[in-house]
Amino acid sequence: MHLHYTPEQRAFRAEVRAWMKRHVPTEPLITLECREGYDQHVEWERTLAAGNWGMVTWPEEFGGRGLDLIQWLIFEEEYFRAGAPNRANQNGIFLLGPTIMEFGTEEQKQRFLTPMAKGEVVWAQAWSEPGAGSDMAAISSKAVRDGNQYVINGQKTWSSRAAFADWGFGIFRTDPDSKRHKGLTFILFDLNTPGITRRPIRQLHGETGFAELFFDDVRVPVENCLAGEGEGWNVAMATAGFERGLMLRSPGRFQATARRLIELYRRHQAEAAPSAREAVLQAWMAAQAYAYNTYSVAAKIIAGGKIGAEASLNKIFWSELDRSMHRTAMQLLGACAELKTFDDGSVNQWLEGYIFSLSGPIYAGSNEVQRNITAERLLGLPRVGAG
Amino acid sequence: MDFRFSEDQLALAESVREFLADTHGPQVLRHLDKDGPRDPNIWQGLVDMGLTGLMVPEEFGGLGLGLVEAALIAAECGRACLAEPLVDTAFVAVPWLLAKGETGQLAAILAGACRVPLPHAINPWVADGDGAQLKSVDPLRILTKGTGGDDPHLLDLAALMSAAQLVGLADAMLAQAIEYAKIRTQFGQPIGAFQGLKHQLASCAVAIEFAKPVVWRAAQALQDEVPTRSIHVSHAKVAATDAATLTAETAIQVHGAMGYTYEVDLHFWMKRTWALSGAWGSRAFHLNRIDNAVLGDMLELGPQATFA
Repeated sequence: MHLHYTPEQRAFRAEVRAWMKRHVPTEPLITLECREGYDQHVEWERTLAAGNWGMVTWPEEFGGRGLDLIQWLIFEEEYFRAGAPNRANQNGIFLLGPTIMEFGTEEQKQRFLTPMAKGEVVWAQAWSEPGAGSDMAAISSKAVRDGNQYVINGQKTWSSRAAFADWGFGIFRTDPDSKRHKGLTFILFDLNTPGITRRPIRQLHGETGFAELFFDDVRVPVENCLAGEGEGWNVAMATAGFERGLMLRSPGRFQATARRLIELYRRHQAEAAPSAREAVLQAWMAAQAYAYNTYSVAAKIIAGGKIGAEASLNKIFWSELDRSMHRTAMQLLGACAELKTFDDGSVNQWLEGYIFSLSGPIYAGSNEVQRNITAERLLGLPRVGAG
Repeated sequence: MDFRFSEDQLALAESVREFLADTHGPQVLRHLDKDGPRDPNIWQGLVDMGLTGLMVPEEFGGLGLGLVEAALIAAECGRACLAEPLVDTAFVAVPWLLAKGETGQLAAILAGACRVPLPHAINPWVADGDGAQLKSVDPLRILTKGTGGDDPHLLDLAALMSAAQLVGLADAMLAQAIEYAKIRTQFGQPIGAFQGLKHQLASCAVAIEFAKPVVWRAAQALQDEVPTRSIHVSHAKVAATDAATLTAETAIQVHGAMGYTYEVDLHFWMKRTWALSGAWGSRAFHLNRIDNAVLGDMLELGPQATFA
């Protein structure tokens, strides 16, 4: 156990900090859940790409920097410290990118990874269906082979970024006689293919971040299938592992929120409840604990280990921490909590953050599902009712 | 930057775990409760394992290991609900004496001939001391009236080792609850198949998973003598206390009425949890130290400071 950064790691932090200082927009961008905000965020993706900061962990040949996980953690810490915008291409960077690197052919890597790294193609994910949410194996959207094409029919929903993104990825039933986890195939598709209808879903705050996707005889070339027909479940599980595991939510994000919460507390200290003071300390402690845990998991992965069901513990922890930090902020803001913009004209980021934090325990596999996975796969409790 | 235990450290902890599992099971706790809480044979076994000399420098015949190894083994002592005062003597007194440059007692400690009571102003009792006895809820603790000075390094060492024992206790209570949930059937199925129990036990696993690295971080900080070490120790004590308390309450709930009996072993671990939660600085004391640092502007915040 050695808990000190090397001089190279310190220099790297300084380099990222300096770049962020020069490039992060001084005014927060509009939410990426509307057209104008989305365009601003795509512009930011291109700024990152121009500085070669788009996909820092990817190999250099695909437009990355080939950084190790410790450098990635440092990058993320500085990214959130600088208050840099949310990533429009989150799905591509952390979900699809690693999946293509693991399962894709050379041709697929060349074709999809570099445009993703350059910020030219933004990806949406299409897992859920109206009848397949937490129970993803209930997927019924079909892809029927016709020569060198798949013909897709069905419906996907809660597809994040799909209102505005360029391409999508999801799993479809290629074997009509199959049940549950079998007969599913992982397919990549251009969202502008004829036959795809996007219907943006208005979210509770009024904006349209995710969408329903309707597939009506949509023709997709078979070379857009990842890892072979019928392998969809295994590929999707690997992707879900990336999502819940290390890369979706790095500790820098929550440590930055905890620091902002400390500053907010200081401004409202005079009227704050004693319970809020303890909640602020809890936020700091939990964000630190999340960082320590992540560094220890990163060290294991660097040494050749893997994360499996432990990823569920992570997902439960960060999502509930995020909600609790924002709840505390709302309490500290008191009568100002409901204001969408404050007196001075600044956007109430805590309100937006609180609303977003409520989705954390739901997306990427609800926390109820994560607790089932924890209980059954890590603790060895009996499975009941699951297929 | 490498937040991992070495193979050697893990192998050492594993060997202690196996040794205690073989020699210090629940039947031993019951024997100690009935016949008196200290047993020279158990102590001798720990001495023979070399554990009293774990932190004694090699020049004095010990293993010369550090606080990280000691914390790992303290967690094993918690897991086994060890009654003998190994942690206080070998993992708290030894590094404290070394820090003060006092080496006179080391040979005796190594040989198992000396157990060091640790009076301190933070506690209104002394564990394993001489004098008028106080009765602890934990039948295997020997407490006497007394108090001592307020040496801050002693406090940090003892609080860290209490936190390490607490995460081991939490692990053990979670394991007991899981075992019971697998074998107890109601409504025609093991009660562990019910989500109502699964989710509670999963929440304990989350709390323990995120308390442990805080304890290891504190051990390394104290070992490296970083300026913020006391904050890390307090964080460890709060996190370990909270994880162990949650797990104790969940474990008894999972056991149902059986958990309320003397017959089920769980109570030994729960009582030790209650004892160590308040020992060497209450939750309020440690939270206050964190408060002073974080809100009192005494601590550098920001990502560059996480491992400073």
